[in-house]
Amino acid sequence: MSRGDPLIRLEGVGKTFDDGTVAVKDLDLEIEEDAFVCFLGPSGCGKTTTLRLIAGLENPTTGEVFLRGRRITDWPPQRRGVGLVFQNYALFQHMTVRSNLAFGLEVRGTPRREVARRVQDMAARLDLEEVLGVRASRLDLSTMQRVAVGRTLVAEPNVLLLDEPLNNFQAGLREQMRAQLKSWQQQFGRATIYVTHDQEEAMTLGDRIVVMRDGEVEQEGPPEQVYGRPETLFVAGFIGLPPMNLLPARLDGSTGRVSLADASLELEAGTKERPSGDVVVGVRPEHLLPVEGEVDGRPRLRGVIDLVRPMAAKTIVDVRLEGGTTVRALTRGIVRGEPGEPVTLAFDPMAVVLFDRSTGLRID
Amino acid sequence: MSRAAHGRARGWARLAVAAVVLLLMMLPVIWLVSLSFKPPREWLATPPSLIPRNPTVDNYVVLVAPGIPKGTIGEVVGAAQPVTRAFVNSVIVVPLATLASLGVGFLGAYGISRFRVGGNFLPFSVLATRMFPPIAFAVPLLVYYRSAGLIDTRLGLILMYTAFTLAFSLWLLKGFIDGVPRHIEEAAILDGASRWRVLFTITLPLVRGGLAATGLFVFIMNWTEFLFALIFTSRTALTVPVQISQYASAVGRFYGPQAALGLVASVPVLVAGYVIQRYLVRAFTFGLVK
Repeated sequence: MSRGDPLIRLEGVGKTFDDGTVAVKDLDLEIEEDAFVCFLGPSGCGKTTTLRLIAGLENPTTGEVFLRGRRITDWPPQRRGVGLVFQNYALFQHMTVRSNLAFGLEVRGTPRREVARRVQDMAARLDLEEVLGVRASRLDLSTMQRVAVGRTLVAEPNVLLLDEPLNNFQAGLREQMRAQLKSWQQQFGRATIYVTHDQEEAMTLGDRIVVMRDGEVEQEGPPEQVYGRPETLFVAGFIGLPPMNLLPARLDGSTGRVSLADASLELEAGTKERPSGDVVVGVRPEHLLPVEGEVDGRPRLRGVIDLVRPMAAKTIVDVRLEGGTTVRALTRGIVRGEPGEPVTLAFDPMAVVLFDRSTGLRID
Repeated sequence: MSRAAHGRARGWARLAVAAVVLLLMMLPVIWLVSLSFKPPREWLATPPSLIPRNPTVDNYVVLVAPGIPKGTIGEVVGAAQPVTRAFVNSVIVVPLATLASLGVGFLGAYGISRFRVGGNFLPFSVLATRMFPPIAFAVPLLVYYRSAGLIDTRLGLILMYTAFTLAFSLWLLKGFIDGVPRHIEEAAILDGASRWRVLFTITLPLVRGGLAATGLFVFIMNWTEFLFALIFTSRTALTVPVQISQYASAVGRFYGPQAALGLVASVPVLVAGYVIQRYLVRAFTFGLVK
């Protein structure tokens, strides 16, 4: 082990299952000590497989896995010291909470007194003392989750992996459990990888977000970067509630101007030397502002209101542009408007992101 | 009619239907009880009577003190010995064969369920032993058994019963093991447990109910097996069903002692069923605790 090595490093890791399904393709990833990383993506994007590859429950078809600089690709899961909380918690249903917590320590031959002490300690920290004698099959969901987290943490793993642990919770409780998880992570100070398809969860929990799609990493970075500077069309369309508006346009390489197909509007792209071509203009809904008349020369889109959805603190307005495309604007407060009413949306040209339509990559 | 009265009437109606069904199902057993207390004259009397006219316990006496039942003529063909030997044989052979079948079946089912050992072919081919009429195996096996010196031995029967019930326990247990979420085992592995440890401390306890149910079925199959026991045993290793068949003479069958032994023979099965009962409920509600 040398200093400076990341906790976990994946190098060109790929996984193809026996039936030919490609779950993960050529993945390069580094997880630092003490990081809270969220794998975010639609179902089937390979995020859970990546987790299982790190845990050693799957063997990569290609590539290598490193733990603090040591190659552990061939190590069995037992040796890796990785804790995994499964989506359905996978508690040992026939055992008491105490036995569930003690199992890992006992298997590893920890002296009995030490086991008792650490189980007691963990139970106290996770508020499980009262249910220590209860069989795991008789617990409610949130207690199950605490046991599942406690069971993995009690063995002091190198890294804690969580596979959609809040999926079974109702919306209200989810919020609460999310806060709970965050505080545990801060309390136990363990590197955590958290798999979710819920972007809100990823945004609130993660120090870093890894957006995955079809077995590949689309973008990784801090939440604000993934949100504000999406690197690909996919990320732009996936992140955000509602997601970014994507408008077809054409870039004139010689003048550096962008003309939207749906609106008679030209933008100063401000790009360096670029070949002309089809591009996509991305604008966040909150950057589209319904205005009346001319306002300080900002670019404007004209259209008619399609639908107004007031949601207490904010309102989502669907606007059909002259060209037929619908964009969404997100404004503060409650906005009134009737479908069919003409409306003008102004936006800040600085908040616009450009994508190459053929490659789907952001143009800077 | 008030609501409560209506409900009560429905309850009674249900009870009545249940009683009739139960009676129909129990009829052979009731008849067996009746027959076992009848003297020879009444065994085949027409019209038959459910209640013995001259009840007797002779049929039970014959089981322990060999001889022909009073009031019959002729020599007993077999069964010149008391039932004790057959009972001891059955009590040794059947549980051991059942345990062996469960043991091999559990390990095999685990391999097939978790590692898809043998692909699609192996699990199916195991069923081959049950696709032929059992008698088809008798002749070739007789040849092997003779040269291996296994004829009329308990070991021979145990091996045979294990082999022939294996397909059954394997398939039944595979279903139960499939029902244990894979993640539970993976969680134990991540906790540092070896595959064997997982097998015995996690999977086995979780399919306990399934093992009990399978065990009971296999036990009953073995306990009542007649054909192989008849062919492969004679005096030393004969089992209870064979002994039942031996209560006959050149003139005819001694139905009374046969009925008596049939009833006595059902006692171990009833005991086993009673003991296992509480696991059975668990076995069939297993899916609910996932």
